[in-house]
Amino acid sequence: MKKVVNILIASVGGQGGLTLSRVIARASVLDGFSVKTAETLGMSQRYGSVVSYVRVGSSVKSPLFEPGEADYILGLELTETLRRLHYISEGGVVIVADEYRPSYTQSTKYSSLKTSDLVNEIRSLWLNTIVIPARKLAGEAGNTRALNMVILGAFNAISNLLNRKSIERAINEVLPSHAVLTSIRAFELGYMYIQQAR
Amino acid sequence: MALHRDILASPGTRVSLMGNEAIARGLIEADVRVVVGYPGTPSSEVIMTLQPVSRELGIYVEWAVNERVAFEIALGASISGVRSMATMKAPGLNVASDPLLSSAYCGITRGLVVLVADDPGPHTTQTEQDSRWYAKLAKLPMISPSNPQEAKDFAKISFNISEELELPVILRTTTRVNHTVSDVVLSEVEKIKQEIRVTKNEARFVRAGMTWNLERHKWLNSKLVLVEDIINRYSLNNCTGNGDFCVVTEGVAHDYVVEVLEELDLLEQVKIIKLGLLYPIPRKFLLENLASCKVILIVEELDPYVEEHVKIILYEGNIRAQVYGKLTGHIPLEGELSKYVVRNAIKTILENTSLAHISKVEKTHLTPREVSPRPPPLCPGCPHRFSFIALKIALSKRGYKLSEIPIFGDIGCYALAVYPPINMLWTEHSMGASISMAIGAKIAGYTKPVVAVIGDSTFYHAGIQPLIEAINKGIDLVVLILDNGVVAMTGHQSTPAWSLSESGRPLKPISMENIVKALNPDFYTVIDPYNLDEMISAISSALDKPGVRVIIAKHPCALLERRKRRSEIKYYVDTPACRGCKACITVTGCPAIVIENNTARIILEDCNGCGLCVRFCPYKAIKTAQGVSE
Repeated sequence: MKKVVNILIASVGGQGGLTLSRVIARASVLDGFSVKTAETLGMSQRYGSVVSYVRVGSSVKSPLFEPGEADYILGLELTETLRRLHYISEGGVVIVADEYRPSYTQSTKYSSLKTSDLVNEIRSLWLNTIVIPARKLAGEAGNTRALNMVILGAFNAISNLLNRKSIERAINEVLPSHAVLTSIRAFELGYMYIQQAR
Repeated sequence: MALHRDILASPGTRVSLMGNEAIARGLIEADVRVVVGYPGTPSSEVIMTLQPVSRELGIYVEWAVNERVAFEIALGASISGVRSMATMKAPGLNVASDPLLSSAYCGITRGLVVLVADDPGPHTTQTEQDSRWYAKLAKLPMISPSNPQEAKDFAKISFNISEELELPVILRTTTRVNHTVSDVVLSEVEKIKQEIRVTKNEARFVRAGMTWNLERHKWLNSKLVLVEDIINRYSLNNCTGNGDFCVVTEGVAHDYVVEVLEELDLLEQVKIIKLGLLYPIPRKFLLENLASCKVILIVEELDPYVEEHVKIILYEGNIRAQVYGKLTGHIPLEGELSKYVVRNAIKTILENTSLAHISKVEKTHLTPREVSPRPPPLCPGCPHRFSFIALKIALSKRGYKLSEIPIFGDIGCYALAVYPPINMLWTEHSMGASISMAIGAKIAGYTKPVVAVIGDSTFYHAGIQPLIEAINKGIDLVVLILDNGVVAMTGHQSTPAWSLSESGRPLKPISMENIVKALNPDFYTVIDPYNLDEMISAISSALDKPGVRVIIAKHPCALLERRKRRSEIKYYVDTPACRGCKACITVTGCPAIVIENNTARIILEDCNGCGLCVRFCPYKAIKTAQGVSE
C-alpha cells in the first residue's frame, strides 16, 4: 500500500458524505491506520456543495490534500463529482453514483440536462470511472438514503483498503441504530456489484 | 449512535475523534466541572459531545443565552472553586470581550479556559477574524494546537497552566483542527479536589477602585513574565531539523509544512520551529533557536501575528536574517493555507540558495471544470421560506417595489434568503444588528418602510436590547421574528424557550411572546407562516401602521419536525401533467425540486411535505403521495 491513500468524497449536503468519511475514518483506526479527515460541518452545508478529504496511512500529517492527489474520488452526486474531478491523481479511480441533483442554477438555466449527459461528461474526462446504480441498490437495501453506503461497498471492493468487519463495526457505531441494518445491506450490495462486474 | 461513548474510553485507547470531541475528552481528563458556551461553527461540538454524558460525569454542560453570559458564568464558577470552560466561535469572543479583559485583572481561582475557534477560509464565519490579537489585547496567555491529539492534550494542560498563573487561558483553534477527525490516544482522567468557596477580596474583584486597578495591572504584568518558563515544562513549543533556513509555524499550518518538506526531501535540512504558546510569544525560545538562522519563513494563517513578533525578537537579539511571510507576499494575507501555498513559498525562497536543486516539477492534473455554484438554500419545508414569500407578496400587494424596501437581516438560516430565487436580504452583519441597523436607516431619514428580520435564538442572544431601543425611540419599523424554536444553523441546539436541555436538565421556558408584549410595541401578533394567506395579510396590515410592529412567525424547524414525525405527507410531480414551466422552483427555490430533461421532479426522500410548491404550479401537476415510504 502507498504511504498515504487520499480519498475525496464529493456530495450534496444531506446525502451523507460526512457520515461516509466518518465511517471510513473509524474503520481505518480499527484497522490500525493513522487517519485525518477534513471537512466543514454545520447546517450551512445542507443542500450545498460538500467535499470531504479522508487520508489513511501509516502516518498522516496534513488533513488536506491538493488537486492531482486523490487516489479515489467517491462521488455521491454527478455534478459535485465533476466539480472536484481535477483532484484525481494519475492512476486514480472515480467511483460515482448515477445520481443527478441539479442545483438551482442548473435546474433553471440548463434544464434540458439529464443524468446520462453528466455520466458521459465524466467518462470523457476520466477513463477510469466506475458508475454505480447506487440509488437503485440503496432502494433494494431498504432506503434510498443509504446511497453513501453503496458507494462505500463499491470502494472497498475496488481498493481492498479496509477489513469488512471493521467497516461493519464502524457503521454500527457511527449510524443511528435504526439505520444500521439497511446501511450494512447497502454496503454489501455495493460490494457485490463490483465483484459481479469482474 | 454510540460515537459520544468514545470520549469515555480508558486511558491508552486509540480512537478516532474529531478535534472538538478530543477537546471534550481533554476537559474530562482535566476534571472540568462547568462547560458553557453559545453555538457557533466550528466550536459547537465540544458542548454537543459532552451533553449526553454530562449527568453521569457530574459536569454542568449547557448552552448560555450568549457568549458574554457564558464567559461570566465560567468566571463566576472558577472564582467559586471549580474548573470551568467557555466555548465560542471567533465573533463570540467579540461579544465576550468586555468581561474577558476585566478577568485578566481579577485572575482566577480554579482553572478557567476560553475556547475560541477561528475560521480561516472563511468557511462559516462573517470575517476572517484573527483572535490571537485578543490574547495580546487582554494580556492573557494563549495556546494553540495543530491537530486533534494536541487539541485534547492542550485542553487538559491549559487548566494546569491557568492555575499556575492564576489567569484565564485562551485555547485557540482553527476549523481544520476543530473539524478534523484523527486517531487520538487517550490519557488518564485526573481527579482534582475542588473546594467550593467564593473568595471575598475587593482589590481583586471590584474594578471600581482605581488604585486597585493599577495594582492589579502590575500584578498581571508580573504574571506574564512567568508564562514562558511555566509553558516550557509542558513542551508546547518545539524545534526540529537543522540548517540556516528556518520555518516558524503554528496550528494546522505546521502539518502542511512538515508534509511539504517531506515531499521535497528537505526535512533534515530545514529547521522547523513550532509554536504552541502564542501569547506571550516565547521570546527566549525563539532567540535561542533563531540565533543561527539566515533565512526565515513564517507560515501562519490569518494575520502576520507571529511574523511581526519574530521581527521584533530578531531586532532585540541583533540577529541578521531575511524574513519572509505575509508581509513579503510569500504567504497570502487572506484565505486558508494549503500545501500548495506552502510549497510555492518554500520553492520561491530556496531558488537562490544552496538548496535550489529541489524539483520544480509540479503535479499535473486536470483543469477544474466550470460547474455552476451550489450555494446552500433554505431546506425543503423551511418555515422561513413561507415568511419571505409572504413578505414578498405583501410588499407587492401594497404597491412597493422590492428594490425600495430594505430588509435588514440577521445571523441564522434565514440569511440564506439572500440567494435566488428569494433574494430578500439586504444585510447580515452581526448578532442582533438587524433591528439596530433598521433603526439607523429610519433615523437617517429613509421614508419608505424598513423591515428587520431576526431569528428566535438571535433575538434572545442580542435582539432584545435593539427592540427596546426601537420602541423607546418610537421608530417606524416592521420587525419579523422568525421563531423556529431552535438554533438551527449550527446543528439544532436548545434556546431559552426549551423546557428540557440536551443534558436532560429541566428548564423554565422563556416566552418570546411575553418578552415582546412586556416591551409594549405599537402592534404585535403571532402567526404560523405555514398559513401563508394569514401571514400575507398580517404583514400587509403591519405595513400600513405606524410605530414598531412586531410579527412573530412561529413554526418549528422543518428538519427537526421531520425527525419527530414518522408518517409523512410527501408530494410528487405527475410527469405527463408537468409542462416544464419551472414555476415550482423559480418561486420557492426548494432544493427538493429539480428540473431534469425539462421536467420537474421532487426528490422523495428530501420532500418535507410543506406543500408550498403545489400552490404555485399553474398546471396542478404536483400531487400528494400519502404514506409513500422512502
